[in-house]
Amino acid sequence: MTTLFLYIDPGSGSYLVQVIIAAILGGAFWIKKFWKKIRSFFTRGKKET
Amino acid sequence: MTDINIHPASFRDPAGFVFTVDGTIYRQVNKFYSFRYDSLQHGGLYDQLTEQRLMVPYTEASMDLAQSSDAYRILLPQQIRTMSYACEWCPEQLKDAALLTLHIQQLAMDHGMTLKDATPSNIQFDNGRPIFIDTLSFDLYDQTKPWIAYRQFCECFLFPLYLHRYAKTGTDKISTAWPDGIPANLTARLLPLRSRWNAGAWLHVFLQNKVGSRKSVTAEPKLRFSKTKLSRLIEHLQSIISHPASPAEASAKAGPYPSAWSNYYRETILGPAYLEAKLTLFRQYLQDIEYSNALDLGCNEGLFSKILAETGIPVIAVDSDWPCIDKLYFDHPANILPLCIDLANPTPASGFRNAERAPFTDRACSDLVTALALIHHLALHKNIPLALIADYFSQLANKYLIIEFIPLSDEKASELVARKEAPTVGYDIGNFESAFCRHFRIEKKDRISGTERQLYLLKKG
Repeated sequence: MTTLFLYIDPGSGSYLVQVIIAAILGGAFWIKKFWKKIRSFFTRGKKET
Repeated sequence: MTDINIHPASFRDPAGFVFTVDGTIYRQVNKFYSFRYDSLQHGGLYDQLTEQRLMVPYTEASMDLAQSSDAYRILLPQQIRTMSYACEWCPEQLKDAALLTLHIQQLAMDHGMTLKDATPSNIQFDNGRPIFIDTLSFDLYDQTKPWIAYRQFCECFLFPLYLHRYAKTGTDKISTAWPDGIPANLTARLLPLRSRWNAGAWLHVFLQNKVGSRKSVTAEPKLRFSKTKLSRLIEHLQSIISHPASPAEASAKAGPYPSAWSNYYRETILGPAYLEAKLTLFRQYLQDIEYSNALDLGCNEGLFSKILAETGIPVIAVDSDWPCIDKLYFDHPANILPLCIDLANPTPASGFRNAERAPFTDRACSDLVTALALIHHLALHKNIPLALIADYFSQLANKYLIIEFIPLSDEKASELVARKEAPTVGYDIGNFESAFCRHFRIEKKDRISGTERQLYLLKKG
């Protein structure tokens, strides 16, 4: 795939910062998901009793 | 003879350019961009964007209008009535323009495309909503790469909005000073210390500044990315832009941020009787004149702009106070374009050769101009002579001017000169009339009952 020549400069470190932010957001996403699972496990347990 | 002009701001993108033929805007798509243009046009993205009124629709025009031998297509886009720039938008307008850009990026990714730039100049306001105008901003999406326009998006949209969120500065002045976007290193220095506790500001401002300022960064290393990661990044930008930072801000959202001028008509000492009398006269004046567009100067929260807009004509409503323009933008009818304009310093011609962005005066001329409870601010606060104000208003008005004169005896006018040591020379009704009668003819003149204020209907010529 070709890219448009020199139309805009993505900026120094712009790609790297996106990779870092995406990794942090990804981490937060999995923690949230995991936390929800734990919570639903206990709340389900509560309802059953 | 046909008058053809290449748009003076349309020279950066090798994919094509905008030109006018007898005032009608066309866009040339160069052969260089043909594959991307076909992907936009035939891949379903164009249909989705135009059906949802996110992008201006266009038709393909005759190739006889081609301006160079490398033309691939000539497009006739739906015309935008009045162009405006980010340096004239209130924070809510910039926010909506930012969210539109992100939404279009998401839709583009679903169609295998991406935005190659993310600047407010890709967006205009039409029928009260932001709309994307740059057909050539779409590139093919390489899922292994991050977003090329991320930094530009941050500098043009996110950083001004963050500065406004913490300092309540409005965004118009920031965009005036940095038309190509405010850099991360400056934003990081201007934001208060407490903003470091905000996850969004930390990630997109402070972290970006830290990473971007590393001396070793000369070329981007090969980094792996994915569509899921980019989607997550876009969603995060959407969430921090659309959601208020704190409960205090959320409650402020319910009613816009108050300023010295919001609630002017509700809380003014002149009260409801004055307003009622002025409204009655204003409506009477409108009945007797014909006009197809209007410009409301010093519109405040737009009470009179809304009356002008009742007949469906396009109205430009301007005020230097961004909270008033924010409020008007929230609840205005579709045919009002609210803009932050300081009449003592209206938007100048700017950009390369002073030609990329046209001055406010060239874009705002209208059949009817209204200037209510405004002249004393220009004459007494800004020290602009009545003759110069009359001269400027005659430039803006094609046919009529409805203007209110507020004499020095009026409490609001005397407040403005209370601390001035020099005498206010020449500010009286006689000089007012002689200054304006050099450009206009008095059609009607009425004292607003219960006050010393006079309302005039003036006709040009």
